[in-house]
Amino acid sequence: MLARNAEGLYWMGRYVERTGHLCRLLREQMETLVDRPVREIDFGWRRLYAALGRRPSGPAIGFGGTDDDFTLADAFALADDLTFERSNPDSVRSCFAAARENARQMRHCITGEMWTSLNLPWLRLRELRIEDVWKTAPEGFYAGVSRDLDTFAGVVERTLYRDDRWRFLQIGRCTERLQLAVSLLLAQARAVAAAEETSDHDWMSLLRVSNALDAYTHRYGVAMRVDRVFDLLVVDRRLPRSLYGAADAAARELAALPPGPGPTGEAASLAALMTRTVRGGWPSEGPALEERCERLRHIEAQCRGFHDVVMAAHVAYEIDAPTS
Amino acid sequence: MDFGAYEIDPAVYDEMFGSDGAPRGHSLPLHETLVKLSSADLGGMQERVGRSFLNDGITFTVYGDDEAEERIIPIDCIPRILAAAEWERLEAGLAQRVLALNHFLADVYSDARAVADGVVPEELVHGCPQYRREMRGMNPSHGTWVAICGTDVVRTNDGFMVLEDNLRVPSGVSYMIANRRAVKAGLRRLYRQCRVREIEHYGRLLRETLRELAPAGVRDPTLALLTPGVANSAFYEHMFLANEIDGELVEGRDLVIRNRAVYMRTTEGLRRVDVIYRRVDDDFLDPLVFRPDSLLGVPGLMEAYRHGSVVIANAPGTGVADDKSVYPYVPDLIRYYLSEEPILANVPTRICRRPADLEYTLDNLDRLVVKRVGESGGYGMLVGPHATPAEREEYAREMRTNPADFVSQPVLDLSRAPCFVDGRAEPRHVDLRPFVLRGRRTRLVPGAFCRVALRRGSLVVNSSQGGGGKDVWVLED
Repeated sequence: MLARNAEGLYWMGRYVERTGHLCRLLREQMETLVDRPVREIDFGWRRLYAALGRRPSGPAIGFGGTDDDFTLADAFALADDLTFERSNPDSVRSCFAAARENARQMRHCITGEMWTSLNLPWLRLRELRIEDVWKTAPEGFYAGVSRDLDTFAGVVERTLYRDDRWRFLQIGRCTERLQLAVSLLLAQARAVAAAEETSDHDWMSLLRVSNALDAYTHRYGVAMRVDRVFDLLVVDRRLPRSLYGAADAAARELAALPPGPGPTGEAASLAALMTRTVRGGWPSEGPALEERCERLRHIEAQCRGFHDVVMAAHVAYEIDAPTS
Repeated sequence: MDFGAYEIDPAVYDEMFGSDGAPRGHSLPLHETLVKLSSADLGGMQERVGRSFLNDGITFTVYGDDEAEERIIPIDCIPRILAAAEWERLEAGLAQRVLALNHFLADVYSDARAVADGVVPEELVHGCPQYRREMRGMNPSHGTWVAICGTDVVRTNDGFMVLEDNLRVPSGVSYMIANRRAVKAGLRRLYRQCRVREIEHYGRLLRETLRELAPAGVRDPTLALLTPGVANSAFYEHMFLANEIDGELVEGRDLVIRNRAVYMRTTEGLRRVDVIYRRVDDDFLDPLVFRPDSLLGVPGLMEAYRHGSVVIANAPGTGVADDKSVYPYVPDLIRYYLSEEPILANVPTRICRRPADLEYTLDNLDRLVVKRVGESGGYGMLVGPHATPAEREEYAREMRTNPADFVSQPVLDLSRAPCFVDGRAEPRHVDLRPFVLRGRRTRLVPGAFCRVALRRGSLVVNSSQGGGGKDVWVLED
């Protein structure tokens, strides 16, 4: 397939994944705003911005006291920044727009059903402002966008032929999922380290954001243990969004591609290494959070490298001799 | 829908009604159906048609200061109907015209017999900015310079006339097909009853045409459609047609030249391209030959083309044959090359480089349409009766300075067709753009993109100037 099309599908996958991740984070934060203490709200914002690698525009995060009115006003500005702000490339609107724009440019490469299931929600979303969703329950808005993206994922699953188009889309989704999940776990660890106190809610909210609370309680029961939360999210292959699942899927889809003109072997080696790093030698049950974070930082670096070598192998390769 | 207030002007041909106000025979079923529908029914249908375009992304993008805005071309849900005999004549006339224009292009880029024999003034050909010296001596497959032509045809009480030939990168065919899909879904019973001829095989005909033009010895050519990119207003059409021809949609940056052949970058390496259906203007095709600042083209493309390893359709340089200053000579070119009388007439045109024509134009500026020869899309045009005295004076000044840049035509009473406007039927001026394909032979689908001047009284149908579209139903015999 045309290299530019592969790149477009890859980025479409990444932006769809990023939008969904952001919506889950914001939905969780909006629910926290309803009845949780200010400390937990503060924790949530810190984790959210740290996971995105951003600093909020406008008022800084942090609360001098327990003034709930101030907290709510601040939340409005922060939610707007992360949801509808056009100048913020990481806002829900910007990420959805980028996913949809890639789809528009790649429409000839995707199914009509895929296009429709991405375009219709976009036509609704583009008209909205923060005031429209803040009036009632803003968490409902994020839940709605998440459902739209789940529908899109289902439509992809049902309609897209399993050829290279599917593979580049999946590689994009898995790469993004890996990067986002690692960033989130590291952000959680940093927020925990910075907080004077933590509660089970902080860990339960992490699990909800990762669509893993049900899996956790099913496997371990309701008692929250940090090492178990990490282990579930990282190495449990039965959890759909685990790091291992994403790394393994990326490696499998990459292996199924025909060899690219660039360093294909390098890409395959890195994919295998990433999978091994995630699963092999992951600390066994115990309280060693720092050790787990150290491993996550390795994975984070490998993940960035993975993007580069996939592009170099199949998209942005050097041209030397022509192929007929 | 009530036609009680529908205005019939005997001076203007109406596509649905005769001058006595009675529906024309071939429009009777449509008229009967429309009368039975309520305004709310038609309003709902109109809304659904527009919505389906937006949902399907059949849009063009307007770039503003803030965010790019996607718009649709407004589509009127009432089809325009052409009887079988009307289409038959149009089809014959269009095929004749495109054949003659291909002969003309082959001629002007070789020994220029038509110039030597005085059929066309030498300065009009060689002085035309669209004449590409780089194309001299080229001999495209089957003598086909123009593979895809979109001819603008209008109708008056005197019959059909050709308003303009578009021989470079004519657009609108995707709207022809999208209009059909949307409108027939809304009027399905009528559509079956009327026995409308199909047009949706256009893509297959285009593919056959392009394959016929493949370089010698290439049995299974790889086709590609070269687009300027997503910012182009016709990008949807490019994507649609690339799929229809089973080709890749490429931008200049996707193509590279190696050993005087064209390759595209794929995920598995370079792959040879044999036929390029280009939707990029000549100027931007190859920065080494044409505009050096072009980022849309491919350096070395023209060398590969001249070498014969790739075919470009339409060929570079075809613009000399659709230039407004050459247009008045097309009937003579048909006689010259084909020894036939033109089936379709031209609009009477005065060429301001001729002193007598200039004088006549200046004396009658308030009654004429004046066009700049280098412009298209309805830009740079003066519609005398609608212009202010100051605008006419400004134009007159320019015409006296550079008379060769202008031609003039009478203001035509373009035919009108009923459109659904503000809840009722109102007449609006329309034209017709059928698409002619020419490979080894000529192919047409029985249909066209019908452009509508949606503003009341307006004669400008261009989509860039507030025009819309209509489906065209060509009936079986």
